[in-house]
Amino acid sequence: MDPLGDPFLRTRLAVPARPTTFLRRDRLAGHLDQALGTPLTMVNGGAGAGKTVLVADWADRLERPVAWLTVDASDQAPGVFWAYLLQALRACGVREAEQAGHPADPMSVDHTLLARLAAALNARDEPVIVVVDEYDRVSAPEITEQLGFVLQHAGPGMHLILVTRTEPLLPLHRYRAEGTLTEIREAELAFTPEEAATLLELHGLRLAEDAARALVERTRGWAAGLRLCALAAQQSSDPESYLKEFEAGQSTIADFLLAEVLKRQPAKTQDLLLRVSVLDRFCPDLANALAGRQDAGPILAGLHRANAFVEHLGHSWYRLHPLFAEILAAHLRVRFPGLEAELHRRAAAWLLTCGPLPETLAHGAAAGDWEFTARALVDDLAIGQFFTGPSAEVRTQPRSADLGELFSRMAPDATGPEARLVRAARALSDHDVDRARAQLRHVRKALDADRPRRAAARLSCALLEVLAAGLTGAPGRAEHAAQTVWELQREVPPELLDRHPELAALLQAHLGSARLWAGRFEDARAALRTAAAGSGGASTALPREESLSRLALMDYLDGWPGPAERKALAALTDAERFSLSEPAGPGLGHLVLAAVAVDRDELDAAQALLDRATAAQPEPPDPVTAAGLVIARARLQLARGQIRAALRTAESAVPAAVASPWAEDHTALVVSAAHLAEGAPETAAKVLRDAAERRGACAVGAARAQLAAGNAEAALDLLANPPATDAGGPAVTVRAALVRAQAADQAGDGATARRLAAQALADARRERLRRPVLEAGPWLRRLLGADPLAGAYGAYGAYGAYGRRSAAPRAPGATHQPATTRPLATTRLPLGTRQPAATRPPVAEQPAPLVVEELSGREQDVLQRLAQMMSTEEIAADLFVSVNTVKTHLKSVYRKLGVNRRNEAVRRARDLGLL
Amino acid sequence: MRYEIRVDGHMSETLAKAFPELDHVVMSGQTVLFGPVVDDAHLYGLLARCQSLGLRVLEMRRVPE
Repeated sequence: MDPLGDPFLRTRLAVPARPTTFLRRDRLAGHLDQALGTPLTMVNGGAGAGKTVLVADWADRLERPVAWLTVDASDQAPGVFWAYLLQALRACGVREAEQAGHPADPMSVDHTLLARLAAALNARDEPVIVVVDEYDRVSAPEITEQLGFVLQHAGPGMHLILVTRTEPLLPLHRYRAEGTLTEIREAELAFTPEEAATLLELHGLRLAEDAARALVERTRGWAAGLRLCALAAQQSSDPESYLKEFEAGQSTIADFLLAEVLKRQPAKTQDLLLRVSVLDRFCPDLANALAGRQDAGPILAGLHRANAFVEHLGHSWYRLHPLFAEILAAHLRVRFPGLEAELHRRAAAWLLTCGPLPETLAHGAAAGDWEFTARALVDDLAIGQFFTGPSAEVRTQPRSADLGELFSRMAPDATGPEARLVRAARALSDHDVDRARAQLRHVRKALDADRPRRAAARLSCALLEVLAAGLTGAPGRAEHAAQTVWELQREVPPELLDRHPELAALLQAHLGSARLWAGRFEDARAALRTAAAGSGGASTALPREESLSRLALMDYLDGWPGPAERKALAALTDAERFSLSEPAGPGLGHLVLAAVAVDRDELDAAQALLDRATAAQPEPPDPVTAAGLVIARARLQLARGQIRAALRTAESAVPAAVASPWAEDHTALVVSAAHLAEGAPETAAKVLRDAAERRGACAVGAARAQLAAGNAEAALDLLANPPATDAGGPAVTVRAALVRAQAADQAGDGATARRLAAQALADARRERLRRPVLEAGPWLRRLLGADPLAGAYGAYGAYGAYGRRSAAPRAPGATHQPATTRPLATTRLPLGTRQPAATRPPVAEQPAPLVVEELSGREQDVLQRLAQMMSTEEIAADLFVSVNTVKTHLKSVYRKLGVNRRNEAVRRARDLGLL
Repeated sequence: MRYEIRVDGHMSETLAKAFPELDHVVMSGQTVLFGPVVDDAHLYGLLARCQSLGLRVLEMRRVPE
């Protein structure tokens, strides 16, 4: 099997063939050799200037692999362009391209992918030569910017040769100034009289020196003009006088000559040439279909042999020279007005059976036949590509964003079921579920009348219903529609399903999301794991990413921050690898990470993650993400002590078809914590009365509130009978143990309290769960104050931070410590760090006293200078403060470290990892 | 906006059809295409069309309404 598969693709990655009459010009080939000494080469000239043949001939004789890409008009999206360029690199054996990954989103390419590619190329011993032909077709400025980036960072690992009609928007002046640009421009490409004479000789025409000079003057040495001249003259009875006449004329060259050459062709050849002008590429069979004849094969072969208009791409595919194609298209419009649409329709019909889907769709759209075009898409089961990556078979072709663009032109009078399915898919990809539903209603009605035919359309309809149900949080509808999809899968050709793995992945991802919303976590996990485990290709990247982040959310809700974080990171890494654009990709993954960061008391990080998630998606597309946003944001506000804001966030409505038990319970948990922080424990307990029976986390929250209200018994009751359904991970059990410890403490059982607290702290430490400890309140500090346990606690480090940003209720008289933004240095300490015996007399084995307060930034500065043996005066000078200020800082450093002298302070700080 | 585009050589009637939105007049070895131009995108599109038809643009200027 050809690694490139698609013949269209193959022709775009192959070095183009030269015409039989190609004239090698050594002065140009010699100049092009300099390309091996510069990172960038630009071959610049108008249509038909002979750019491509020059570079192709040079590349073929190089005896080194060359990555060749001919840009196509459909490569306008950066993701598509890079997918093809990477494919071109792979095709010439550049293994580095494999490591870079695949862009899955057509509209964008991830910057890290480009950075990976550039770094890998930079590390190569043998530089890779990359030719991008017809670069003028690239209209998106970001592609050029990205290419410039890769070029710059690939360093000596890449020679880029751009063949283009227009100057690219690269900083060419800089390359010129640095002497790192090889430039071949139109004037250099122009034929000299001697070269022109030799070229015409290849066509069997002998020209006197002054005749050649005159011809070059008339055509300005334009390669295409000379070639047409030769053709026209060849066919005339007296070539020499024909050329003289032409020289004297005033017509525009290509136009005039082409008309001359065309009119001398037999009528059927003219007809064929005009008709194929609507095609980018064609084979004899396709040309026959357009012309309604059988003999296109020999005609095309003859034209190719005569070097007239037609270029051979290999594998019996041809194309018209772009310049001639444009002019022939103008002739077509004049000679057969109105035929163009019909030709596109015929091309689409032919391609439907033998060609790649995108070409079929493009011609169908060009014909304005939207019913046909929509049907071609739906019958291929490609409807999922409105949402995901490409089918597995064409890995190089990322998600057809062009699909959305292509169908945006769809006429409103197309009202067949397939056209409506396309409209529904577009609405769903815009998250406009109402509009989608309205279309799907019509589709169902129309298809029901047509049973049992049109299985592909019915399957697509059911799939879109699953998606709509997922987006609106309607689990019942999702299950029903999914069932329909599974039944219909038996009625469509299995190879179609194999070609579209994105269908199954989308189905499972959205079904899983709907089940998650309904609170059926185990069923949801089953579906989501299937979607997440799907093939590693780009086509399923989006459902995979969505499923992973939903699995992460469930882990978080069940109190497992570690696994939640790992899954969310896996989702984001995967998304990055396939360059999913932000609106399509991240969102929930970042929200889960933000919520985990709150549990770890990394509030700034949480804020940054939240901002990133909401920047990508100001409006959450589905209820699961919306609820995730409410929970993460409210928890952060709570942790920052913004009680009112947290309550407002928790009250914000999440629109959905049915209510979600976990969304309600977890929101209630936030509301309860907010009431507790405001000193209203009764209200806090009441809010969770129902939820406590359903969810471990809520039972713990209710217990905490009961304890604060003075109902220790009720609190222990709640903890003694946790809801059977979920035991909960460390985020739940740590909080539960702390409530128990507090209850024991209140009951005067100090030993039990300390044992429970020690266990809770050890568990918390393992998961880096600082927030539950901070929430626990000031009693913990009293409990652990002068206790051997304090060593472990101090090492854990949450103690010093207590009260900084805690929303926990403050006991009367508890001192509130000044806010600081320094991270806790003590967290770096391993559990149970001991200090050197000498610093803690008299009992050597005793663990180190805890650092009850972290050092301020200024104190840290002073401490560092102390360690450099600077005197007090030197420190003052260095920090631009007075000696007295330094002394004040020193005193508090001593106090916080529990030492009395400089050298002790330094040693102790080293032991604690503060230095 | 109205523009006129002056290209080298006499354009055939057929080729002029490639610019259906513009009028044209042939004079002294040149062809002048003229007419309304919608916006910049249209303008650059016209230039690109000239290039892809192998026309040599001698002058392009905006003319008063």
